[in-house]
Amino acid sequence: MLENYFSVLIFILIGVAMGVAPLVLGRLVAPHRPDKEKNSPYECGFDAFEDARLPFDVRFYLVALLFIIFDLETAFFFPWAVVLDKIGWFGFGAMMIFLGLLVIGFIYEWKKGALEWE
Amino acid sequence: MLDAIVALIIILIKIIVIVVPLLGAVAYLTLAERKVIGFMQGRIGPNRVNILGLRGMGQPIADGLKLVFKEIIVPSEANSYLFIIAPIVTIAPALAAWAVIPFNHGWVLANVNAGVLFVFALSSLGVYGILIAGWASNSKYAFFGALRSAAQVVSYEIAMGFALVVVLIAARSSNLQDIILAQQGGLWHWYWLPLLPMFVVFWIAGVAETNRLPFDMAEGEAEIVAGFHVEYSGISFAIFFLAEYANMILIAALTSIFFFGGWLSPFEGIPVLGTLFGWVPGIIWFLAKTAFFSVLFIWLRATFPRYRYDQIMRLGWKVLIPVTIVWIVVTSLAVELHVGPWFS
Amino acid sequence: MYNWLTDCVFYVAAALLVVSSLLVITSRNPVRSVLFLVLCFFCSSILWMLLEAEFLALVLIFVYVGAVMTLFLFVVMMLHIDLEKLKTNFVRYLPIGALIVLGMIGLMGYIIAPEHFSLLAPAHHGADYSNIKELGTALYTHYVYPFELAAVILIVAIISAISLAHRGPRGRKSQDVPSQLNIQRNDRVRLVDVPAEKKE
Repeated sequence: MLENYFSVLIFILIGVAMGVAPLVLGRLVAPHRPDKEKNSPYECGFDAFEDARLPFDVRFYLVALLFIIFDLETAFFFPWAVVLDKIGWFGFGAMMIFLGLLVIGFIYEWKKGALEWE
Repeated sequence: MLDAIVALIIILIKIIVIVVPLLGAVAYLTLAERKVIGFMQGRIGPNRVNILGLRGMGQPIADGLKLVFKEIIVPSEANSYLFIIAPIVTIAPALAAWAVIPFNHGWVLANVNAGVLFVFALSSLGVYGILIAGWASNSKYAFFGALRSAAQVVSYEIAMGFALVVVLIAARSSNLQDIILAQQGGLWHWYWLPLLPMFVVFWIAGVAETNRLPFDMAEGEAEIVAGFHVEYSGISFAIFFLAEYANMILIAALTSIFFFGGWLSPFEGIPVLGTLFGWVPGIIWFLAKTAFFSVLFIWLRATFPRYRYDQIMRLGWKVLIPVTIVWIVVTSLAVELHVGPWFS
Repeated sequence: MYNWLTDCVFYVAAALLVVSSLLVITSRNPVRSVLFLVLCFFCSSILWMLLEAEFLALVLIFVYVGAVMTLFLFVVMMLHIDLEKLKTNFVRYLPIGALIVLGMIGLMGYIIAPEHFSLLAPAHHGADYSNIKELGTALYTHYVYPFELAAVILIVAIISAISLAHRGPRGRKSQDVPSQLNIQRNDRVRLVDVPAEKKE
């Protein structure tokens, strides 16, 4: 098992290298002539008049919160899906209760309007 | 010690054998995109840079060379470290996911039992490159693009995860090779038929995850002028571009593995055609299916207008997730009851 | 697998873990500390993988790195954390903080002490050993009660997330798709007979 994951680790390192190498190459061969106007943030032709990192809508935050919960549910689903034929109807029933609770939460979310965007 | 070095070199050679053709495919997918869209819109597309008399075939090479020789601009307001790291964080997972992709029976770098989980885990890292790039640029357009796109990507991640769960239920394994082997028996045994809604959900979620049209809110060139990578130039921009196309090919490959039988021949079990095409190696089928779905990305781009943001979020949360939840129940019931030719 | 190679990976990952967790608490930029925390999770994932807990290692990546850290990044980007303001009460809260840290160190020392925690190396398994299958067969049969409890906790989490972060409707003009789809031709189009004008 570890042999396989060792190749995966090397592949990840190669992936990082594939990102670093072009940047280094670009740094070496490309011109580098910084200029105040060139390096200013893009703003449709005028100077940036306030910090770009504006406080943003709280709904993005809600989406991220709900995403965590659903991602955790997915984590519970994966082992169940793989062994479904071994654990039989008992395991099926256990997951249906779990899924039922998830659906109740989902309906609550829906009815509360947490999924609405305009 | 020596045998370890030999093993390491063998792993490295295998990785190079995967990565080099992959990067070639990525480069020529950009050309294919321009050509296909050109033809769909009654234009010719790039036709000036010729190789061996083939018009336009040198275009990706010319583009790459041009981008290498362009200045890498780091905006004065940006967080320079994070600004440089963002493209690396984007491309590394896009490439590393290929470690577990089986190209033919036994032709896989790492035959891991948790292959599906590995791919899913890596695809959940895609949001980092976007968020870091958008925040580090310290530009309004980049920041808004990153926010929109991050919320979109995480929303579709859920639908994609649930669709994968259904595939696992049907195949009873999370090893990508076993998933393909479970679909053996010809065109009608591939999972696109019993899991048709999941195929559609997975495909839509895949298009949304890669920020391709009609879900390209991250870029939205008409409103936020390219979104999270508006401040990137030269090769640092090219890395984002490469990662996007590598992700497209990855989603295409995953679709063909999960729903279209990977390396399996479509003519398996059909009397005359089965023997007629019996000599074709599995990798050809796999590459053909992957190529088809890669072109489907381009086709979608040429066909559909961009979604509005509230429509994107509505589709992800209110349509795709309920569909997947229903299909989880249906498929697990079918497996428990051993229904039909697929789950017996 | 060569033992020295796994040792090598272990020491590199562990050292990186310690360094990056130090950087989490020392870096001045909150976004950077979140990213170092991501690196921490990566290194611990490698360590878990070395213990052959492949499912948990991957879940650590897609739940913690993929979801929880994304939320952290959102929060850190959204709130403008003023570090100077945070530092003003540093001395005042120092005794309480020190007390909590001491308590936690004591607790961890107690839990990780050898009598509660055996340091036996896990058995090595062959390539066809599936961690997920083992986990699945245990979780949904033997540990079904805690599993259902997890569902209840998750539904509490959904409700609390909505009550914390949802601001309710704000005069929005959202699209009502079913009514758009169910629209009949007669609701929108009215055919009118216009008598043709006669020339002459």
